[in-house]
Amino acid sequence: MELEVENLSKVFINDNTVHTVLRDLSFSVQEGQFVTLLGPSGCGKTTLLTIIAGFQAASGGRILLNGRQVARPGPDRGFVFQNYALFPWMTVRDNILYPMKQQKVPAKEREQRLQELLFMAQLEGKEKLYPHQLSGGMKQRTAFIRALAGKPEVLLMDEPLGAVDFQMRQNLQEELESLWLKDKTTVIMVTHDVDEAIYLSDRVIVMSALEGKVLEDLPVKLPRPRNRKDREYIKTKEHLMDLLKIAVNKRPEPPEAQRELCLA
Amino acid sequence: MEPAGDKARIYNSRNARLIREKVMDSFGQKKILYRLITVAAVFGIWQLAANHYQSEFMMPSPLKTMITFTAVVHDADVIKNLLLTLRRVLTGFAYALMIGIPLGFLMGYSKAAMQLFDPLIDSLRQIPIMAWVPLTIVWFGLGDGPTVFLIAFTGTFPIVMNTIAGVQNISRDYYNAARSMGAKPWSIFAHIIVPASMPDILIGSRVAIGLGWMSVI
Repeated sequence: MELEVENLSKVFINDNTVHTVLRDLSFSVQEGQFVTLLGPSGCGKTTLLTIIAGFQAASGGRILLNGRQVARPGPDRGFVFQNYALFPWMTVRDNILYPMKQQKVPAKEREQRLQELLFMAQLEGKEKLYPHQLSGGMKQRTAFIRALAGKPEVLLMDEPLGAVDFQMRQNLQEELESLWLKDKTTVIMVTHDVDEAIYLSDRVIVMSALEGKVLEDLPVKLPRPRNRKDREYIKTKEHLMDLLKIAVNKRPEPPEAQRELCLA
Repeated sequence: MEPAGDKARIYNSRNARLIREKVMDSFGQKKILYRLITVAAVFGIWQLAANHYQSEFMMPSPLKTMITFTAVVHDADVIKNLLLTLRRVLTGFAYALMIGIPLGFLMGYSKAAMQLFDPLIDSLRQIPIMAWVPLTIVWFGLGDGPTVFLIAFTGTFPIVMNTIAGVQNISRDYYNAARSMGAKPWSIFAHIIVPASMPDILIGSRVAIGLGWMSVI
């Protein structure tokens, strides 16, 4: 598996003004890596992720998955949404079976994979519940294994922990890591949380707010599970925070219209 | 497993009205009490009015009315007519569903269909129902035809409107999620669009049935 982002650009045209969100962005991700796209709000990291997913088109450049260009959504790229987007009219079981049914996985195999995934996410016995009956953590795990159910080559995650408080967030990061260690699918995750980026990733790509350029491509080589109080860990964290400060400060004050676009 | 009715409500979390109903259900006894108060108040005012007019023709007393009512519901003729009306309402409602739901899906999903049908629907909707009566008699003759047509006609609009709203309110994330799982358009329709817009369709249908009874002539 290799994912390549080649000279990717994205511009939005609003009231006859052109807003460049991404300009000439290039990087590649290797098999089994957990990569984080880190950047201040409005730097275009979520836009980048949705372009990789195929939910919106790039203005220039291309995305290659195993050398093949991808432009539309497909089961080779799983997606975990910020608000999970579990189908509220389906049970946990039906949510997880849905991607496999779409790919015509035989019923027997489907059932087996379902049990595997439920076991992996410690959701056995919860399969008959509806999403609104689940706790935040269970929802997240369900969303995660649903995205894995179709065996995607790469898993894209858009701030999967964005909606929870600090304490819960740390717990869920640990849960997410242990889940990922069992599966080792290639992951590209978007976050604005420095701590989350270091705790989870093998590699952090820092993006600047101005025209979405890569500020730094930083490998994180600390042993897992990571100790948040470790000296190396804290040093990396401080380095990234300084970098993010630069990422924000270097940016000229945007006009009102663009600021709104950034928030969106 | 929950009963089917509850299942319909579960994915309704965005629909505050139905949630309120559900909450009200849990105060069952209080609900009955409130209903009794309403009924008592209506009968009280009615009795006062009857006392005031002292005329069986202009304002019969509630007691007298109830006695006549019990006598009338045992009348075979009345029951026959009641069933006839019920059949007309249900037939008209069925037509309204058959036209309203597909049209609503189409207009909610496709901008082109919206542009095509919206002017037509919006203008037809404004025509007073009574204005159709002479025309429908000419078209369908006397009998079931005009009534069924009018019931179907009035019922179609709330169903179309609510189905459109239901489809348009579906979060983009659900479409994107389904597409990234490899879902084809038919599956997206059957497994995403239909269930996600069902609460709104049910609301539209409820309004349509109510209007249907009002259109009985």
